[in-house]
Amino acid sequence: MSLFGTLTSASRSLDAQRFGLDVVGQNIANVNTAGYTRRTLDLAAIPPTTNLSAGGGVEVQGVRAIRDALLERRLWQETPAQTMQSAIANSLSVVEVALGDAGSSIDQKLTAFFDSFAGLSEDPTSATSRQEVLLQGQSLASSFSDMVSRLNIAQRDVDTRIRGDVDQVNSLVAQIAGLNESIGGATGSGANLQTLKDQQNEAVKALSGLLNVHVIQREDGGLDVTFGQGRPLVIGASNFAVTATPTGPLGLVTLTDANGVDIGAEVTSGSLGGYLKTRDTTIPGYVSRLDDIAYAVVTQVNTVHQAGFDLNGTAGLPFFTPLGAAAGAATAISVNAAVAGDPNRVVAAGVAAAGDNQAARQMADLRDARVMFGNTATMHDAWGRLVYQAGSDTRYARLEERSRGEVVLQIEALRDSVSGVSLDEEAANMIKFQRAYEANARFFTTIDSAIETLLNMVR
Amino acid sequence: MRISFQSGFRHALADIERTSEELARRQREVSSGLRLQAPSDDPTAAVGAVSENAALGAIDRYQRAADSVGSRLTVVDTVLGDIVEKLTQAQAVATGGLGDTPSQAQREAAARELAGIRDALFGDFNTNFRGVFVFAGTSSTTQTYTKNPDGTVAAYQGNTSTISVDIDRTSSVQITFDGSSVAQGGEARDVFAVIEALRADILAGDTPAIETGIADLKKAFDRAVRAQTQVGTDQKALEDQRLRLTDEKLGATERLSKLTEANMAEAISAMSRAETGYKAALGATATITRVSLMDYLK
Repeated sequence: MSLFGTLTSASRSLDAQRFGLDVVGQNIANVNTAGYTRRTLDLAAIPPTTNLSAGGGVEVQGVRAIRDALLERRLWQETPAQTMQSAIANSLSVVEVALGDAGSSIDQKLTAFFDSFAGLSEDPTSATSRQEVLLQGQSLASSFSDMVSRLNIAQRDVDTRIRGDVDQVNSLVAQIAGLNESIGGATGSGANLQTLKDQQNEAVKALSGLLNVHVIQREDGGLDVTFGQGRPLVIGASNFAVTATPTGPLGLVTLTDANGVDIGAEVTSGSLGGYLKTRDTTIPGYVSRLDDIAYAVVTQVNTVHQAGFDLNGTAGLPFFTPLGAAAGAATAISVNAAVAGDPNRVVAAGVAAAGDNQAARQMADLRDARVMFGNTATMHDAWGRLVYQAGSDTRYARLEERSRGEVVLQIEALRDSVSGVSLDEEAANMIKFQRAYEANARFFTTIDSAIETLLNMVR
Repeated sequence: MRISFQSGFRHALADIERTSEELARRQREVSSGLRLQAPSDDPTAAVGAVSENAALGAIDRYQRAADSVGSRLTVVDTVLGDIVEKLTQAQAVATGGLGDTPSQAQREAAARELAGIRDALFGDFNTNFRGVFVFAGTSSTTQTYTKNPDGTVAAYQGNTSTISVDIDRTSSVQITFDGSSVAQGGEARDVFAVIEALRADILAGDTPAIETGIADLKKAFDRAVRAQTQVGTDQKALEDQRLRLTDEKLGATERLSKLTEANMAEAISAMSRAETGYKAALGATATITRVSLMDYLK
């Protein structure tokens, strides 16, 4: 190779080492960029063209983003389980608060109600005791309906989060479809393509936190995304929005796909899955248990009340307005207006004698009566089981969130060990390229000096 | 394994969050004195707390009932004691009218004294405690005995049923009484009729009739003593029950305390450990982020 050829080669090498420094700079600059995968410079020696040539120096073959597709997929698979438990734990924390502390919630109202009948049994003809019974009955009924209201508010709060998640899903699938289009149109393995793929992976990761997605790699580099039973969210450059439509008396949203099919049951994980489970299964389950307790209160109290006699010596009316079924009992429970309007209609006597207190005693004894769960539990026990269930559900979700979070953290650590930027490594690379640049510059100077020597020979 | 910048921070942040959450939880425990902040802290303890609170509610109720019943029984005991005393006096007065010895003036004085005793007994049997005639059976708002226009006492106005109040899940105490069972029992005449007859018999000097009257007073005395004995027995049982309820309340309160309240020594120690862990996590993060190859480049 001629000296000028060598000079050209040295110049190319200088460019290559400088480019290496550029890549290091890019990596350092994006050390905090979410989804950024570290870049490495691919260099290749330019082979000699003749037997009398050492070679043409070095050339830049390209910049490569270091990815591990397997770890990316593991992350997409594990993230929904963690975010689902996180969503459940967060929303149930509110429900726990709504249930109130032990001894100051429905259980306390039940105690006060039965206490009022015990008080009446001590003085069956007392107008004050009768008024107290009515007040405690109304207070108990209100506490049931207030509790249902609080649970409904919790349900609506969760519903608001569902709407927010749906907006995010639609935004992300639109973004992924747009990225698919850009990636499909991009050529070669340029830096822009890698940036688009970083954004694509980050968007899919965010989407997997919202719902259980299935990702299929396209030949053009794009990603098709489906969920549930293969329902499409992104196919190539097309995205399919999820629609949230308010329905029912509470205005809770129903999720439908692009074809109007209800897809709520197919969203089984991710934060959206967690919120849907809490809204549609967990909280209604608590309300149902509350209904059972309220229904037992109404039927048991009415049975005793109707078997007794009021202060006028007439057969007792139902104390609570009779209910046809347990469903909705906690909302509908109320003191019978005919009794509420006339304290003398409160039953205390077991026989038609004004001073008798047999019925009031029986009513007070209902506190310990096993009338729930196939006559194995008292009403207090039933309330305790509801509290236990809510506490247990929240605790389980928290523990699962933590353990799933550890799994996600470990996978992220593994992914970062492949794709993440290490400042130490970049510092080492910086020295490496700097020193190489210096050596090449020295070589360039040497060749330049040789050319000068040659030119001086002919002067 | 390569340790990336982000990975190091992610782990450090997770550790800081975990330790700070633990510290915050322990701080709440110490400041509130409560181990159980929410059911999810310990669901089993939460359901136990519901159960113990229900038990405490029932104990409180029974204690209030025992107090109320105790007050009432004290009144009844006092009244029965007075009845016994009056019947003793009546027997003594009637005995003084026996035979031919008493003068007419003494007989008239004895008759007047018996009238006084009758009125006292009338008041005793009509004892009203907080609006309830305690000797009228379940007709507790009906005056037990009333007087006829001529001053004599009419027949028993109450009924023979009685009211009991629960002082425990399995025991109850009678709080109203069938006055006729004391005043008359199974006899043909009640104590008021006996005294009326005695007054006439003493004035008439009818010794056999007076003796019959004294015998009837003795029977009434026995009935009153029996009733008082029963009340005394109930009072004793009530006192025992109060002690039992106090013990039960103490037990339930202790169990509730164990379930819900923090052991302060343990809690403070745990808070101290949590604080150390938190500081260690912060320190470790600060240390690892201080060291970098970048620092050695010139």
